Amino acid sequence: MTADVITTNARARPRARREPWLDWMVLPTLIVMAVVVGYPVVYTILLSVQDYNLLDFTPANYVGAQNYAKLAADSVFWQSLLNTAIYTFGSVGIAALLGLVLALLTENLGGARFRAVRTLLLMPWAVPFVVVAFLFRYMYLQNGGIINAVLLWAGIINDPVPWLNSAMLALPAVMVANIWAMAPFFFLLVSAALSAIPNEVIESARVDRAGTWGMIWHIKLPFLRNPLLISSLLMVISNFNDFAKIWAMTQGGPGYSTSTLVIYVYRLAFESFEFGYASAVGVIWLVMLMALAWLYMRALRMEKR
Amino acid sequence: MIRNRKSVLKLLAAVSVAGIAAGMAVTASAQEKITITFANWAAAEGTTKPGIEKVIADFEAANPDIDIVSEAISFSEIARQLVLRARSGNPPDVAQIAGNDTVLLGSTGALEPLDSYVSDELAANLKSGADAGLRDKDGSLFAFPWNQSPAGFWYNKKIMEQAGLDPENPPRTIDELNEALAAIKSSQPDVIPLAIDTTNRPFALSSNWPWMQSFGAVPVGEGATGAESEEMKAYLNWMREIAQAGYIDPGRRIGEFRPLAAQGNVAFIWDQVLLKGVMQAASGMSDEEFYETWGVTTLPVGGGKATTFEGGHQLIMFSASKNKEAAWKFIEYLATSPDTIANYTTSVNSSLPSIKSTGNAELDEVLSAPVFKAFSEEIIPTLAPQPYGPEFAAAATAVMAGVQEAVTGTKPIDEIAASIQQQLPQ
Repeated sequence: MTADVITTNARARPRARREPWLDWMVLPTLIVMAVVVGYPVVYTILLSVQDYNLLDFTPANYVGAQNYAKLAADSVFWQSLLNTAIYTFGSVGIAALLGLVLALLTENLGGARFRAVRTLLLMPWAVPFVVVAFLFRYMYLQNGGIINAVLLWAGIINDPVPWLNSAMLALPAVMVANIWAMAPFFFLLVSAALSAIPNEVIESARVDRAGTWGMIWHIKLPFLRNPLLISSLLMVISNFNDFAKIWAMTQGGPGYSTSTLVIYVYRLAFESFEFGYASAVGVIWLVMLMALAWLYMRALRMEKR
Repeated sequence: MIRNRKSVLKLLAAVSVAGIAAGMAVTASAQEKITITFANWAAAEGTTKPGIEKVIADFEAANPDIDIVSEAISFSEIARQLVLRARSGNPPDVAQIAGNDTVLLGSTGALEPLDSYVSDELAANLKSGADAGLRDKDGSLFAFPWNQSPAGFWYNKKIMEQAGLDPENPPRTIDELNEALAAIKSSQPDVIPLAIDTTNRPFALSSNWPWMQSFGAVPVGEGATGAESEEMKAYLNWMREIAQAGYIDPGRRIGEFRPLAAQGNVAFIWDQVLLKGVMQAASGMSDEEFYETWGVTTLPVGGGKATTFEGGHQLIMFSASKNKEAAWKFIEYLATSPDTIANYTTSVNSSLPSIKSTGNAELDEVLSAPVFKAFSEEIIPTLAPQPYGPEFAAAATAVMAGVQEAVTGTKPIDEIAASIQQQLPQ
């Protein structure tokens, strides 16, 4: 018996060694990937080391790392990077927390009531992002906006607040709109994960007289950790690239107070037509996105284990 | 049976020959017909769409051998799309363009020089200065002036009267303006005392440029004193003061103020000649009511001089056009025909033609209306060309971001000016 196993393994090893590193069957996929993903990435990297302005029809000049050196000293780039981090991690963190709380609060609502509440809570997720942006933009208006009107009527403020026109308030105001639109995603996901917790576990905790907090902290949250982590990472990547909401609400202003990397790249590429420099910013942005994607892949692998 | 079969075959052959002949005739006719693509935002905007569609239909009726394919592209997108299409070798034949975008397109070298198409008669009929800024370094005309639409300082006489101000004497200096703004704010807190565009886009810099010049500031271009000059700081300080006093509503595009002005909620507005048409369309005001309520004059001055900017539209032809003669015929029709001037330029677009004489008595009467007269005689003489070009586009982001910081933040003006200067193209 032992000898048989040894013989089988000895036969299997050379066969494994003979397996080609590249299966010909994946070649079409690789070709498509190379055209759709590889070419733009490589071309962006090539552009990032050139002085290439779209308005100048003469051939681009190779400038080496000059665009990257300029980037290091570019205060708008650094502010955009900081704004991107605040916008992305702030929005995702708060939306995840909000989604979690809403899911826990509505967990035990049954029947038609639950369906109505769930539909209501999910509605913002169904509203197109540009509509969300314009909706909030008009709600935030200094003159005639409903938020100021309500706050003035309630006597909370004496003068209208310039929500989108204050360098201090604009970014948080845009984040509120983003959180409003994103929280239902987390609510949906957490609700699904909560319903997947085995009843035996919940029953055992009840038998052990676990209180509400104990149940949430020791039983439910450990089950929710992985789904929350993966969805948060997915949302971080998605928010890192968010253009529509910010552009429609503030166009990156006032000043550069809501300018994120994607807004900055857009302005460089399509207002100044500086494709070389915009590509350098794009490469840095791509590297950061790849790091986030790597984290996401790791989290996925962890969950499988 | 056989005879029948032969008859059927003969009939089929006859039908085939007739079909081929008809097909060839259609093809020949299609080949003779020239197609001109016309990229424009006039067809993308509700107010101007019916007018431009009528003008195109009239042109096609008058020129049965030319087909116009109108490509509607929004105002804010058209420059980007035209640059990208020119780069990829797929530009339209003719395009509508304005402001800095005209010079940007001109700098690409993808435009057809138009001097050889302009007849002496037409050149003599062009208004003085209508082609200012539309010639390259060699003096070659790269865009043809379609219409003129400079900005004027519009004042609401009724609001001024309610504030205890003389409605026939609009403010002429920045000091007088400050006093008027204070009086309006205290008497009518719900009214926006002054409407100016403080968004971050090249158009906003064009629109704010005369205000800067009013203080003597020239941040970029020929004779520039930079963003850290005392004049520029005085302008930024004034913007901050009027914002903090609640005299302006920052962040709105000028177009967003127009409906509010039409409702009587704006006292002063720095806007183009087209404002009259927009306000009348929005409120249904008659000419008489309009003139009772609104007047227009030159910009109040600080330490500098009163200037304005040309917000009119130009027409360009791409060198890649295969039908240049037909394209020029269309450009000339748009800029000079009484049909276009009546149905588009002075009506839905509410602007002035770029030619002196229309050759049409009715049109001349329309052009002698008080608003058009005030623009022609009082405001157009203050037109000052702006340093348009790729650098202006890059400067626009830096300068307008600084203006927004001054208007909405608390950062010291000196720091804002230094930050603008750092961002300006070197």
